[in-house]
Amino acid sequence: MSNKLIDIVNVSKSFGENLVLNDLNLYIRENEFLTLLGPSGCGKTTLLRILGGFESPNEGKVIFDGKDITDLAPNKRQLNTVFQKYALFPNMTIAENIAFGLKIKGKSNTYIEDKIHYALKLVNLDGFNERMPDSLSGGQQQRIAIARAIVNEPKVLLLDEPLGALDLKLRQDMQYELIRLKNELGITFVYVTHDQEEALTMSDTIVVMNQGNIQQIGTPEDIYNEPQNAFVADFIGESNIFSAIMVEDKLVKIQGVKFPCVDTGFGKNKPVDAVIRPEDVDLVKPKKGLMQGIVTSLIFKGVHYEMDVMANGYEWLVHSTDMFPVGTEVGIRVDPFDIQIMKKPESEDAEAVSIEE
Amino acid sequence: MIKKYIQRFYLLFIIILLYAPIITLMALSFNSSKSRARWGGFTAKWYVRLFQDDQIMTALYTTLEIALLSALIATVLGTAGAIGIHALRRKYRTFMMGVTNIPMLNADIVTGISLMLLFIAFRFSLGFSTILIAHITFNLPYVILSVMPRLKQTNISTYEAALDLGASPLYAFFKVVFPDILPGVSSGFLLAFTMSLDDFVITHFTKGPGVDTLSTKIYSEVRKGIRPEIYALSTIMFLSVLLLLILVNIAPDEKEDRKRILSAATVKRHKISRFLLRKVVPAAMVVIITIGGIFYSTKADRLGGANQVIVYNWGEYLDPAAIELFEEETGIDVVYEEYETNEIMYPKIQSGAIAYDVVCPSDYMIERMIENDLLAEINFDNVPNIKNIGDVYMEQSRQFDPNNKYSVPYLWGTVGILYNKTMVDEPIDSWSVLWDEKYKDSILMQDSVRDAFGVALKYLGYSLNSTDLDELTAAQKLLIEQKPLVQAYVVDQVRDKMIGNEAAIGVIYSGEAIYTQLENPDLEYVIPKEGSNIWIDSLVIPKNAKHKENAEAFINFVCRPEIAKMNFDFITYSIPNEGGRALIEEPELRNSKIAFPDAKELERCETFKFLGDENDAVYNKLWREVKSR
Repeated sequence: MSNKLIDIVNVSKSFGENLVLNDLNLYIRENEFLTLLGPSGCGKTTLLRILGGFESPNEGKVIFDGKDITDLAPNKRQLNTVFQKYALFPNMTIAENIAFGLKIKGKSNTYIEDKIHYALKLVNLDGFNERMPDSLSGGQQQRIAIARAIVNEPKVLLLDEPLGALDLKLRQDMQYELIRLKNELGITFVYVTHDQEEALTMSDTIVVMNQGNIQQIGTPEDIYNEPQNAFVADFIGESNIFSAIMVEDKLVKIQGVKFPCVDTGFGKNKPVDAVIRPEDVDLVKPKKGLMQGIVTSLIFKGVHYEMDVMANGYEWLVHSTDMFPVGTEVGIRVDPFDIQIMKKPESEDAEAVSIEE
Repeated sequence: MIKKYIQRFYLLFIIILLYAPIITLMALSFNSSKSRARWGGFTAKWYVRLFQDDQIMTALYTTLEIALLSALIATVLGTAGAIGIHALRRKYRTFMMGVTNIPMLNADIVTGISLMLLFIAFRFSLGFSTILIAHITFNLPYVILSVMPRLKQTNISTYEAALDLGASPLYAFFKVVFPDILPGVSSGFLLAFTMSLDDFVITHFTKGPGVDTLSTKIYSEVRKGIRPEIYALSTIMFLSVLLLLILVNIAPDEKEDRKRILSAATVKRHKISRFLLRKVVPAAMVVIITIGGIFYSTKADRLGGANQVIVYNWGEYLDPAAIELFEEETGIDVVYEEYETNEIMYPKIQSGAIAYDVVCPSDYMIERMIENDLLAEINFDNVPNIKNIGDVYMEQSRQFDPNNKYSVPYLWGTVGILYNKTMVDEPIDSWSVLWDEKYKDSILMQDSVRDAFGVALKYLGYSLNSTDLDELTAAQKLLIEQKPLVQAYVVDQVRDKMIGNEAAIGVIYSGEAIYTQLENPDLEYVIPKEGSNIWIDSLVIPKNAKHKENAEAFINFVCRPEIAKMNFDFITYSIPNEGGRALIEEPELRNSKIAFPDAKELERCETFKFLGDENDAVYNKLWREVKSR
């Protein structure tokens, strides 16, 4: 992709005793849909607010298009924010809301009229000009908030959990809408969410954060298929995470059973974490499996069945289109390339490790 | 069906309860008789007089000015404060809210006194500005309290969104945050405005000479009874508030319009009427208040230059025309302030908060002030008109000012019995009539400790300054015996009740008696043969007076016969000025036995003396026992 638009260099931020961002480094490319993903309190919103100019970092700087904007006031920045709670101005009509930024910039009335018309069309709310915000549904309000931001033609649109307050169906619709908007506008989106599905659906790049540290940066596929540590693996999708021993290259011992795998370079007899996605677990006849277990629960999920299999004292989570009734004895197999081996965190606290890009 | 009627009746009942007092007041404002008990026919004269009365109008405009200014300033400061407090962290915010709420829960009198002490400590001269500061102070918490909830409801991200869209912080505040908290701000303003209009206690302690708000003005007139002009004023105020409320409520709601589909013409019509009712009418009221305020404040003399004399007198105790005359003649500005009782006046003089030049205390209070070294000796070279004061009064004055050094008698009177000739069988000449079973429930007693005990002590043949416990106990016993016969213990209502034929016999001051006789010729006044109280209010100069020569000039001026006579016409209290008495045109007044009793009668009378705090306490304890039996 194209060149760096925003560069976040060694940014730290704390509120009182509480360290929210810990010496963070990150760059954002032009035209990228970048998502900051993490549980609440991981610092993702704070990072976004630093980008928007509503917070200033204790240390480090923010470079935008080659210029240091760390101390620039929010109203002087070439980026716009879509807030979690829409933040429409309740005392103004929809048209007045959208025109707000343009009027400040001193645009002509015809220009503003055109822009309002264009923006409302873009968010599929044509003809809502004279309505008041409180007469709109949540999804409509959010689309107006987006329209209000994009008429200013920002280089970057910052979105702070914009779909958080919407119901599931609406949320899914809006996800497609956002992707369409991004493609039509051709600008950079920085998106904050704690919803991994949202992140996987929309993003070009996902930044997984925890406790003020970046855990992993990568494409949705990278993040999902090759989580770099147990936190990412656990946070992204469902998974079976085992404490395992790397016997040698391409061989890992899980629950006392040796599984062939594809990873190398961990050394001999080293403790590691092994991640196996539930859909990668193959259930076969007991004798054909590397280990044996008994199905203890069975739930129909629509696309697949979700089963718990008790084997060697551990409950495996399995997604499969084949159905095995509760009580059935089964064998477990895993293809070598479906086992993801990760370094063990040195200690409990170091689970939130800071990693290099 | 019946339920419906009961509902309606109940509603009506509530409305009557709520509005009966105000309707009574409105009715009285059209009553041509001054009495509160008698309907004398319809008139609008009080309204005419109201607008001619500079004192009331000045007080009204001072009130409105202070209310408007203090509410405005408090709203600006309070809103800014609320925003600041809101931005604090939770712990500090709770603390700050507590701190700002405390003044609101504080008793007014505590706030008032502490503000006064503060002003005195920092050598502020009490006046318009101190009232304003005080009002801003007590209004602030109300504004903060009503803005705070709106701020809490406001979505902070709307402000950030505005910044994000390129607005400067100030623009964002006024365009986005302010409209959102406006309901809170305006209710804070209205609350502050009303609190300021309402306030009496704090104003009372922080006001200086010559500045009066309506409440302090009305209070200072209570002694002489509330004037019907005040009823007229209250009626006008009530109606304007009512009108304003109706206008604001019938103005079509903008939000409603947005929600309904209306024709363009209707929307436009609504827009115009909304503009008229919500903006033009209130703006017009503000303009009227401002112009009126300027008009009356230029007319009235506020604290002027150095050449002034600050007079502290009883309410309605001097004809305003006399003050104007004095100002014209001498070029000295008179700053005139009034008090209601000696006990209110005394601490003000003692504290030295305001350097008054001329004060008019009563006999016993003068004695107390001399004892406490609060008075300056008058230089009688500057008061040649002292010669007009009758010798008998100078002699009576010696009871409290033994060498006639400190005081010049100003007005005097006696306490006696007022009776209705048509309601009693025999001529009355003794206090004994107050204990006559025949007049059960038609006797009015004075509701004040010294006056009540004075009557009983005199009836028993003792001095009304007795401190002998046996004598006092005997008097108390007598008063308790009398209780079942008494219709009411009152102060200034004796006048109205007697005029309205509501009672046959009442204990009253002679000055009031003359007035009641003019209103109701059936009334007669007598000083009982056992003797009674003679009171003298004299002009004195406090020790800390800043304009002593002006004060002497003023005293000399009021001792002039024409001025004394003019004042007699104004308040009908007895004047000690022989020259003035000779000028009274009507022979029946000039020779009135009420206003000017024979010297022989006065010999039986005594002035009250200051008995000391301990004896005061004994009197008060005995009187409480009488009242509580």
